Amino acid sequence: MAQILVVDDSSTVRDEVCNFLKTNGLTVTSAIDGKDGLNKLKADSSIKLVISDVNMPNMDGLTMAEKIRSELKNTAVNIIMLTTENSPSMKERGKAAGIKGWIVKPFNGAAVVSSVKKLVA
Amino acid sequence: MSDKNTLISKILVLDDGAAHCENDKAFCEEHNLLGIKPQQGGMEAAMAILKSNVDLGGIMLYENYGNSVGMGLKLARKIHDSRPELPIFLRRDSVASVAGLDQRDAAMFRCAYTLNDLQVLRVTLNDSIFNRIYPNDLVRGIAEITSASLQALFSNCDIDVETPYLVKDSIIYGEVFTLIAIESNWCRGYMMLQAAEAAVLSLIGRKAGNEDKVMTFRELNNVLGEVTNMVWGSFKNRYAGQHENGASLVQSQVPIIINHQRRYISFGSEDSQLCLKYTLRERGNDSVEPVSIYQRFIFNLNWSPDEFKDNASVESLFDAGELELF
Repeated sequence: MAQILVVDDSSTVRDEVCNFLKTNGLTVTSAIDGKDGLNKLKADSSIKLVISDVNMPNMDGLTMAEKIRSELKNTAVNIIMLTTENSPSMKERGKAAGIKGWIVKPFNGAAVVSSVKKLVA
Repeated sequence: MSDKNTLISKILVLDDGAAHCENDKAFCEEHNLLGIKPQQGGMEAAMAILKSNVDLGGIMLYENYGNSVGMGLKLARKIHDSRPELPIFLRRDSVASVAGLDQRDAAMFRCAYTLNDLQVLRVTLNDSIFNRIYPNDLVRGIAEITSASLQALFSNCDIDVETPYLVKDSIIYGEVFTLIAIESNWCRGYMMLQAAEAAVLSLIGRKAGNEDKVMTFRELNNVLGEVTNMVWGSFKNRYAGQHENGASLVQSQVPIIINHQRRYISFGSEDSQLCLKYTLRERGNDSVEPVSIYQRFIFNLNWSPDEFKDNASVESLFDAGELELF
């Protein structure tokens, strides 16, 4: 049972984001790429928010977001991208997949924690 | 960076004539060269200092180095054998040419000059080391985004950047390096981060707050990989974001050759590469040696600096790390 799923192929980023969220009282689980993230989301209906990287092996974050919308039609999960990408075309693709927000790395937890808490409330 | 507007190059000066020492120093300062001289003359000292410097731009060599007639030529053969990519500039006593040398020996030298006429050396230095223009705004921007990326991953360190310099060497620094392709419509090539494994692993262990925990190369790979990813992303957003046309570009590649035995890497281009050195000093721990990370940009597939534009205003539309709600 977790409130937030963190998806990133870099264990450095996964650990940093997960540790920050845990210290702010949130329950967290993680996945190593989009494919792993999709499977974990399917297996845990308590997840309210996905924070995902874009560029990952096996399945990228935007494809994962699109599959969440097409394969888990009834889910109300919110998705935020945490990435080095900042191109308008990628953001447009993300919006079309229903993602709620975009964070350009490096992750500044203090700046986003209140918004994150609202999204899992 | 002490001077953000000037690229320098490190040059090994193998000229032990005491009378020329001041001349060499003045020449190097005048031509943006950082001269490195062995403290002792002789073949072994020269090769030792060559071995310990893997980011040189070239070598200034006196034909009678070590006060021994012909020793300069013997040394040139050894240098050329181990580091053929380094241009050697030969100082001669009487003639500013390679006259009198056999064809094979003459081919080792980029030029020959005398103290009475340094013009040929000036021209050859510009042609062989300073021949590629790296825009100041680009160099400054690279240092900024890389320092910010390093700071994000090594939050317990202060990050310094030395004056950027141009290298001709093809020698790998340290034991681990990352490589990522840089693509835009004005440049194509690679960025490489190089580091010594043990020093960075130790730093990562201390940042994690557990010096006793054994860090493996996987942790090192993750951290350096993420720094590379962040620099790459920032570079793309800032310098290539509005110009990228990846779908229609015809992608050409050349082989990258890495020889671990000789610590050699070739990207197929002989142009000078842009190199920056970063020093990480742990705050509150003066007993630990600073850690060096070397960054190189090798735009071997396309380089059109006339079309270079700084899109800093695009990146500053909102701050990194903040949530942009849709």
